[in-house]
Amino acid sequence: MLVAVGLSGFVAGGFPSPGERPKAGQEWPTRLAPSEAAAAMVPPSSVLAPKTREGSADTTPAFGIWRISVPQRRPADLAQEFERPTANHEFYFTRAVYTSGRFGRSGRYGRWATDYPKSDRQFMVGVKRLTFIDGYPMENPVRLNDPDLRRYPFLYALEVGSIALTPAEEEGLRDYLLAGGFLVVDDFWGSYQWANFEAQMRRIFPNRSIVELPITHEVFSAFYNIEELLQVPAVTNWMYNGRTWEQDGYVPHARGIFDDDGRLMVVINWHTDLGDAWEWAENPYYPLQRSTFAYEMGINFIIYAMSH
Amino acid sequence: MDALFEFLFKYRPLIFDRGDFAFAAPWPVYLALIVGVAVAVPTVFMYARVRGKSGRGDRMALAAIRTAVFALLLFSLFRPVLVLSTVVPQRNFLGILIDDSRSMQIADRDGEPRSAFVSRAFGLEESELLKDLSDRFILRFFKFASGSGRITGLSELSFTGSRTNIGGALDRARQELSSVPLAGLVAITDGADNSNEALTEPLLALRARSVPVYTVGLGREAFSRDIEVSRVETPRSVLKGSSLVVDVMVTQNGYGGSTVQLQVEDAGQIVSTQEVELPARGEAATVRVHFTANEVGPRLFRFRIPPEPGEMVTQNNEQETLIVVEDRRERILYFEGEPRFEVKFLRRAVADDRNMQVVTLLRTAENKFLRLDVDDQEELIGGFPRTREELFAYRGIILGSVEASFFTHDQLQMIADFVSQRGGGLLMLGGRRAFAEGGYAGTPVEDVLPVVLESPAGDDKELFVTEVKVELTPSGMTHAAMQLGATAEETGERWSTLPPVTMVNPIRRIKPGATTLLTGDADNLSGSPVVLAFQRYGRGKALAFPIQDSWTWQMHQDMALEDMTHETLWRQLLRWLVNGVPDRVNVRTPNDRAAPNEPVELVAEVEDDTFLRVNNTEVVANVTTPSGEVISAPMEWTVDRDGEYRASFTPSERGLHEIHVQALEDGEFLASETSYIQITDLASEYFDAEMQSTVLNRIADETGGRFYTPETVSTLAEDISYTESGTTVLEQKELWDMPIVFFLVVLLVSGEWGYRRWRRLV
Repeated sequence: MLVAVGLSGFVAGGFPSPGERPKAGQEWPTRLAPSEAAAAMVPPSSVLAPKTREGSADTTPAFGIWRISVPQRRPADLAQEFERPTANHEFYFTRAVYTSGRFGRSGRYGRWATDYPKSDRQFMVGVKRLTFIDGYPMENPVRLNDPDLRRYPFLYALEVGSIALTPAEEEGLRDYLLAGGFLVVDDFWGSYQWANFEAQMRRIFPNRSIVELPITHEVFSAFYNIEELLQVPAVTNWMYNGRTWEQDGYVPHARGIFDDDGRLMVVINWHTDLGDAWEWAENPYYPLQRSTFAYEMGINFIIYAMSH
Repeated sequence: MDALFEFLFKYRPLIFDRGDFAFAAPWPVYLALIVGVAVAVPTVFMYARVRGKSGRGDRMALAAIRTAVFALLLFSLFRPVLVLSTVVPQRNFLGILIDDSRSMQIADRDGEPRSAFVSRAFGLEESELLKDLSDRFILRFFKFASGSGRITGLSELSFTGSRTNIGGALDRARQELSSVPLAGLVAITDGADNSNEALTEPLLALRARSVPVYTVGLGREAFSRDIEVSRVETPRSVLKGSSLVVDVMVTQNGYGGSTVQLQVEDAGQIVSTQEVELPARGEAATVRVHFTANEVGPRLFRFRIPPEPGEMVTQNNEQETLIVVEDRRERILYFEGEPRFEVKFLRRAVADDRNMQVVTLLRTAENKFLRLDVDDQEELIGGFPRTREELFAYRGIILGSVEASFFTHDQLQMIADFVSQRGGGLLMLGGRRAFAEGGYAGTPVEDVLPVVLESPAGDDKELFVTEVKVELTPSGMTHAAMQLGATAEETGERWSTLPPVTMVNPIRRIKPGATTLLTGDADNLSGSPVVLAFQRYGRGKALAFPIQDSWTWQMHQDMALEDMTHETLWRQLLRWLVNGVPDRVNVRTPNDRAAPNEPVELVAEVEDDTFLRVNNTEVVANVTTPSGEVISAPMEWTVDRDGEYRASFTPSERGLHEIHVQALEDGEFLASETSYIQITDLASEYFDAEMQSTVLNRIADETGGRFYTPETVSTLAEDISYTESGTTVLEQKELWDMPIVFFLVVLLVSGEWGYRRWRRLV
C-alpha cells in the first residue's frame, strides 16, 4: 500500500533504463516471458514523466537510490471538476473518484488518487503495446455520482479499505454496475479494511454475495492464462521491508460479485496492489515477476470487461 | 334499350351482329338502277324548272326530303334481309357447366343463394329456359369447382367445392364434347375464379374450335354490406419469441369510416388486438399488427374481424396462416477485430435468448484470438474460417471493426458467397476498421454491402468521429426489427428519445434497391448519414449498421436500468438477420394450406454442406397424416433446375400434415428438413366472392359468346341458335317490314308538309 507518498506518484526522471524498447517494426510477443516482461512494461520516457495539464512536478527527498516524487502542486484538473477526454477512443482507463479519505486544502483529492496518474498512464502504455485495444493513453478520473460515469464501462477503484460512500455515490455505483459497468477494486489489505469494504458493498447490494473467484474462471484466461494468484506488493513495503504482505493480508485473493444473470461485474483484488506494480514496473528493484503478473491481471480484466 | 331496338328494327341486336346483310330482290340490281335513273332524271329536270313562291333553298330542302322518301321505298323494294346461320334443332349438343363451389351458397340476391337460380332454371320441368334449350339442343351437364366432371342430374350438385377453376372446367367440357357437333358451352357461375390458373389457354383453344361460351353471372357485383380481411402475409417460419409485424389488408362495403377490431389468435387465444378505421368503399386499408410468436411448433394464426351486424358474408372476415415457430439455436459468427465494448453489450443483449448463439471471435492482439460461446475446443481454433464448410455452418455473420486486409481474397469472396449462394445474413458494424475506413472498397464484400463506400473519412493522424442522433425512416417504422414498442406510436417515441451514438464511418448513400431503416442527424456532416440499411443480395441479405457504440443505448445515463431497448433491438436485429436463411434441404408447397382430396405439389431444393446444388440423388418425402399414417413420396429431380426435386401427394384427412424430406447420397444421409401443411376446408371461396362480370364478359367476348344475368337469360336459347358451330342451316330474316322504315317514311312526309306550312308555300 502506497498511501501518502506521492499523491499522484509523479516520477521525476533520471532513472536508469531497465530495458530497451523494441525497434521500429518489431512486435512484442503477446504472452510475456518473465525476462521480457519488464522491457515490455517500460513505457517511453515521455510517458514515464507524465505531463501535467498545468503546473509541474518537482523531485523531493531521495528514497534509497530511488527517489519518489511528490508534486508540489496538484494538476488543475483535480482541483476543478474533472474534464472529460476529448479524443475518441474505445477504452478509457477510468478511475473512480470518491469523496471519503479526502485531504488537502481543497479537499478534492484523497485516497482515490493513490498512484494517480502515473499508474494509469503507464498501465495504458502496456495495454496499448500488448493488445489491440484502442486505449486513451491518459488518466480519466470520474466521480461515482457523475452521470457521465456510465459512458465508461470499465472502472478502477483502489484504497477502498476505509472508503465511506455517500448515498449519491452508492446510487451512482449501483446503477453503473446494474447497467453493465465493470468494476475492478484494488489495493486494500487486512481483515479490518475488508470488513469496511464489505459493509460498503452491502449497502450497495444487500443481497449479493461476494465470492472467491476460482482460478479456472474465464477472467483469468481472457488474454493471459493465469494459473496462480501472486501477491503484488506496494513498492515501499517491498523495498524497505522485503515483504509482499501488509497487515494480516498474507494471501492474495480475487473475489467477485455477480449480477442476476451470473455475470461477473465486480472483481475485488484483496491483499494485493496491482496499481503500484503498474506504477513502478520500470523500477529494477521492483520484483519483475509481480509487475508482470499485475499487467497480466489488469489486461485480463479489461479484455474480460470488454467481452463479457 | 334492347327492347326499343327490337321494336324499331324487328330483331334484337344479336341477330344483326350474327347475320350478314343482303338484298333478296327478284330482279337484277342493274335493271333497277336503269329504271331509277330513267325516272329520276326527267323528274329532277322538271323540278328544277318549276317557278313559284319557293326559293332555291326551299326547293333543295324539299327535294332532299322527297329523295329520302323514295330511297326508303326503294330500299324496301329491294327486299333487304339478314342471312344467319342457325342450328338444326336436336342435331347439336350444348354443354352446360354449373359452378359447384361454396360461393354459390352466398345469399346476396334478395336473401336467396346463388344456387337457387340453378335449381329454378334447370331443376324444374316447367322451366322455360330448360324447355327452350331442350327443344333446340341435346344438353350435357357438367359441374365444376376445383375439378370438373359430367353429371346426370342436379342432385349431384352440393355447392361445397373449395375452389373455382373456370378455365379447367371449360377445357374439360371442350375435350369431352370434341367428338360431337357442339353449338357452344354455357357457364353458370359467379365468375369468382380463385384457382390462380390463367384463362388464356383454355379460351384460345375454344376460339380455335369456334365454340362460343355463354356465361350466366350469378350474384351481385358488389356486396352492399361486407367487411373482408383480404390478404395477410406472414413468414412461413420464425424463431420462438420473434416479434412479428404483419400487414393485413382490409376492404369493406357499407361500413366506411367505422372502427372495428382486428384480432390475432394463436390457436384460439388472442395474442394481439388492433383498432382499424375502415377505408372508403373500394379502397383497401393496410393494418399493421404486432405480436410475438411464443408457442413452438406449427401454429395456425387467425386474423379476424368479428362480424358486424348486417354483413352479407361473414366467412371472409378472417384469414388463417400457418407459421412454423422454431425452437432451434441460430448460430451467428461475430468476428471483431479489436476489443470493443460493443462485443460485451451485444453478447449481453442476446445472452438470454435461447434461440441465438453468437459465436464470438475476438482478435485481442496480433494473431491472438479470444473465442466465446464456441461449441467445442476445435471451433474457430484457426481463427476466421478458411473453408466454405466451416463458414457456411453459420447462418449469419457479424463483421466488427476488422480491416479487409486481415482476410485473404478467398475469405473475402467466401463472405460474399456466404450471402449470395448460401443465403446467409451479413451485418457489418461501424468502426475505425470497417467499411471504407477498413479498406473494403474494391473487395467482393463491397458488392454485398447495401451502402456506397466513398473515400475514407479522417486521415492517418486523426480519426473522423461524429455524434449521430438516430431517426427512424418510414421504412424502418414498418419493419419488424425496428419495433421497440407495442404500438407504432410507442416505437416512434422510443426511437426519437434515444441518446446519440457515435459514428466513424460517415455513409451517405445506399445502393439502388437497398432500403434505409435508420438515418441520423449529425452536426458535422452534410446530409443525413445512413445508420441502418439493408439489401437482398443473391439468396441472402446484407445489413450495414455503421455506428460504433450501440451500447450507449444500454449504458447511457438517460437509459433506465429496466429499459430493454438495447436488448430488444439486438435480438430483433439478429433474428431478422437469420430469418429465412435456407437449410441444406428446403421444402416448399404452393400454399401453407390445401383442401382435402386435392393434389399437393412438393418442391425440395437439396444442397451439400458447401451449399452447392446436388442433382440426381435419392430424395424421399414422408408425409405423416394427423392419424399417424405415413405416405411416402419419392421425389424426382426436375432436370431443368439444379438440385430441385418434385413430388405430389393427395391428402384425404383434414388436419396438420408433417412433411419430412430426406436426401441421401450413395445411401448415406445428406440432409433433411421438415415442413408442414394444413389440410382444411378452405374459405377462399368467400374472398373476392362478388360476381366477376369482367371475367365472364371476357370469356364470352373472346369466344364469340355472350354474357347474361338471370334477368337477361331468357333469350339464351334463341341466341345460341344463331351460331356457326355444330350442324347449322342458313336462314334469311326479312328487314323490309321493319317498323323503323314505316316510321321514317311517315316522319319524312310529315316533315315535308310541315316545312311547306312553315315556309308558307301552301
